[in-house]
Amino acid sequence: MPENALQIDDLVKRYPTGVEALRGVSLEIRPGEMFGLLGPNGAGKSTLIHCTTGLAQVTSGTIAIFGHDAIVDYGEARQAVGLAPQEPNVDWFLTVAETLDYHAGYFGMPKKARLARTEELLETFSLTEKRDERTRTLSGGMKRRLILARAMMHRPRLLILDEPTAGVDVELRLELWHYVQRINREGTTILLTTHYIEEAEQLCDRIAFINSGEIVGEGTSAELASRYGVANLEDAYLALVGRKELSRSHVEVEVEA
Amino acid sequence: MSSAQIRFATLWRREVNRFMKIKKQTLGAPLLETFLYISVFGAALGSRIDKLHGIDYVVFVIPGLIMMAWSTNAFANNSSSILQQKFQGAIQDQLSSPASPAELLLAFSLGGFMRGLIVAGLTFIASSFLVDLPVDHILVLVPSLLLVGFFFSQLGVLIGVRAEQFDDVAFAQTFVLQPLIFLGGVFYSAQLLPQPFETLTHFNPIYYMINLVRYGFVGFSEVSIALSLLALTAATAVLFFVNLRLFTTGYRLRA
Repeated sequence: MPENALQIDDLVKRYPTGVEALRGVSLEIRPGEMFGLLGPNGAGKSTLIHCTTGLAQVTSGTIAIFGHDAIVDYGEARQAVGLAPQEPNVDWFLTVAETLDYHAGYFGMPKKARLARTEELLETFSLTEKRDERTRTLSGGMKRRLILARAMMHRPRLLILDEPTAGVDVELRLELWHYVQRINREGTTILLTTHYIEEAEQLCDRIAFINSGEIVGEGTSAELASRYGVANLEDAYLALVGRKELSRSHVEVEVEA
Repeated sequence: MSSAQIRFATLWRREVNRFMKIKKQTLGAPLLETFLYISVFGAALGSRIDKLHGIDYVVFVIPGLIMMAWSTNAFANNSSSILQQKFQGAIQDQLSSPASPAELLLAFSLGGFMRGLIVAGLTFIASSFLVDLPVDHILVLVPSLLLVGFFFSQLGVLIGVRAEQFDDVAFAQTFVLQPLIFLGGVFYSAQLLPQPFETLTHFNPIYYMINLVRYGFVGFSEVSIALSLLALTAATAVLFFVNLRLFTTGYRLRA
């Protein structure tokens, strides 16, 4: 049986302030899956991603990426991961093309491969015309395109997209999903966090709900809806966050009444 | 090149690229500053001052200025580069790469080291045109300058990692480093100071660094060369391991 793309066991993250952001999270993502992680703000989604990618220190528990311990054998583990963070954290001193080139260099890609991959992703994300512009001059949408391209530069086997469509226009959102679906079909495992539930419902093979640092539900969208005794994933999510009254069916009934 | 070599070369290249993109500020300004020091203290004031310990005043001052150029630039580069990247969040791209803590630390350190080397090197070349600057003890001069550069690179990294705002870096530079350098004997001999200032100068670590570099150039020192070299080596090593510990534990770098 192949190693899981991501295997998290009993992960605890406690900040020095005493806040426990993750409280014994266990999660399995199979190779080739598109996996959605949903939860309200502050639920622990980004902390979980930061622990997985080495941006946060783990308090206890284990994380394995394609069988490599992400804490002890972090080199191999991180080599397999591409991260597009929630905030467009681009380096102001670099141009668009340099951003991609340097990222690939950090992951040990030889120059020839870097150059070819840079051209390919500039084209894919419609950034070719901006290639020599400093990143600080880019619009929010362009920065978003750039960090998505950057995450994919070293051809990661596990791509983590932390709310990649937050604040982007419809055009980019659709472009992104077409690209993500394509690379997923080609074998890249995707971990996606999003606030757009319909996106998760349409794109993800399986979904986990996280709340207050704990995984409170996991399965396909139909399984989650069934578990919460509701019609769809959105209603299951509203049940999770205790806001059933916002359900569309509930609102429709009220309007009819 | 292996993956690890490409990774390290890229990390280092990023640091050099950063200061080369703003070279008016990172290279031009410090060069002008050093030139002004040489003009004011060396040429203008120096013509009124007799020799110090048998050495022309301008020649006595230049070794300290070269050391000052290397140290302040190495420090300023690393502290501001790390803080800026933390501030932008861009450092996450490096931290989430397979780079080890030692690779990251060395790459950050060498960025400032290189900037200091360029400014100090250009200062030396320019000074050589202006005055007859001897190099009496190259075997002391080269290791001393390399150690001074690496020590202040490490200090810059330490302050950059610890800093939470730009004020923290400015404070360290303006209220700690600059006074220690100026009071360390760049422009004068501590032996000429009245007590208790002469004795107090001996508690300033930069005094020993200036003397090492001055000895390398003009063959004059007020302190033991062997002991000073040993102490500087030890201090640099300690600072390196402190920083390595910070990078390994992720102190103020990883959440």
